[in-house]
Amino acid sequence: MIQQIIALLILIFFISKLIFQWRKKTINLNEFVFWLIFWLIAGLLIIFIKPIDKLVMNMGFSSSGINLIFYVAVLFLFYLIFKMRLRIVKMEKDITELSRKLSLRK
Amino acid sequence: MKIFCVIPAWNEEKNINTTIKKALNYVDFLIIVDDCSSDSTLSEAKKIQAEYPDKVIALHHPINLGQGAALQTGNEYAIEHGADIIIHFDGDGQFLAEEIINLTNPIIEENYDIVFGSRFLEKKSDIPNFKKNVIMPLAKIFNRIFFSIKTSDPQIGFRAMTVNTAKKIKIENDRMAHCTEILFKAHKYKLRIKEVPVTVIYRKYGQKFSGAFKIIKDLFYKKISE
Repeated sequence: MIQQIIALLILIFFISKLIFQWRKKTINLNEFVFWLIFWLIAGLLIIFIKPIDKLVMNMGFSSSGINLIFYVAVLFLFYLIFKMRLRIVKMEKDITELSRKLSLRK
Repeated sequence: MKIFCVIPAWNEEKNINTTIKKALNYVDFLIIVDDCSSDSTLSEAKKIQAEYPDKVIALHHPINLGQGAALQTGNEYAIEHGADIIIHFDGDGQFLAEEIINLTNPIIEENYDIVFGSRFLEKKSDIPNFKKNVIMPLAKIFNRIFFSIKTSDPQIGFRAMTVNTAKKIKIENDRMAHCTEILFKAHKYKLRIKEVPVTVIYRKYGQKFSGAFKIIKDLFYKKISE
C-alpha cells in the first residue's frame, strides 16, 4: 500500500512537470496528450496492481503483475531506441546530402 | 580519356601541397575535398587552386562528414564535369602518385570497370606488424563471410574507376566503412574488377583496432536502416 502511494506521488510529480512544460509551450498539444495518457495508464496499473497480479496468474505467467509490466516496458524501450537510431541515421543522411549540395554549389 | 583525381583531406596542411603537386603530373583534373579541417588545409588547397585554376578545384564540407562522404562529393563533381576515369587518392601522402598510371592502365587498355590497389600482392609496403598480421586478416575474413568479397586488401583507399562505375556505386557510408562498401558494391554489380600492387608509406598508424569495430558498427547500422 505504501509503495503504491509513493509510486502515485512520483507519478503526480511527473504529470505536474508535464503540465508545466505544456504551459511553457516547450511541448505541443499532441505530445502533452500522449504523455498524459501514458502516465494515466501507469497510474491505473499502479492502483489496480492486485487485480493485474491475478490476471497475470490466470494467464499462466509465473511472475507477478509488476514484473510483467517491467518486461513489457523494457521491450518497449528497446523498440523506441531502435526507432530513434533509424531516425538518427536518416537525419545523418539528410545532413550529408545538404552539406554536399552546399559544397558543390558554385 | 579525362582522368580526375579525388583527394579527401582532413587536417592535412603539412602534406596536402606536396601530395597535390605530385598527383597533378598524372591526372587531368584534381578535386580536393576539405572535410571541414580545423587547420589550414582549405587555405592551402585554395592556394593551389589559384595556382592551377584549370586543373584544380578545392571543395569544402561545412561540417566534418568523414572520408566516405568526401569521396562521394568528389565523385559527384567529377561526374558532373566530364570525367572518364576517377581516381581516389589519400591526402596524407602515403600513396605514390607515379603508381596512378598502374591503376588507370587496366581501365584504358583492358576495359576493367574498377581497379583496386593492394598492399599484399607484392611486398612493397612496410605495413605495421599488428595491422598486417591481425587487423587485415580479420578484416579479410569479415569481408569474405559477410560480403563475399575476395580481394586481397580489405581497406585500401587507392582505387580507380570508370565514370559509369562511379555512377553505380554511390558511397553511402560517410566514414571509414566506405572501403568495404565500394568493394561490396563492385562485386554486387558484377563489375570487372582488377587488383594491382601499390606501395603505402606509413607515416602514422592509420586505422586502429578500435576503428575496425567502428567500421563493423557503421556497416551494421547501414544494413538495418536500408
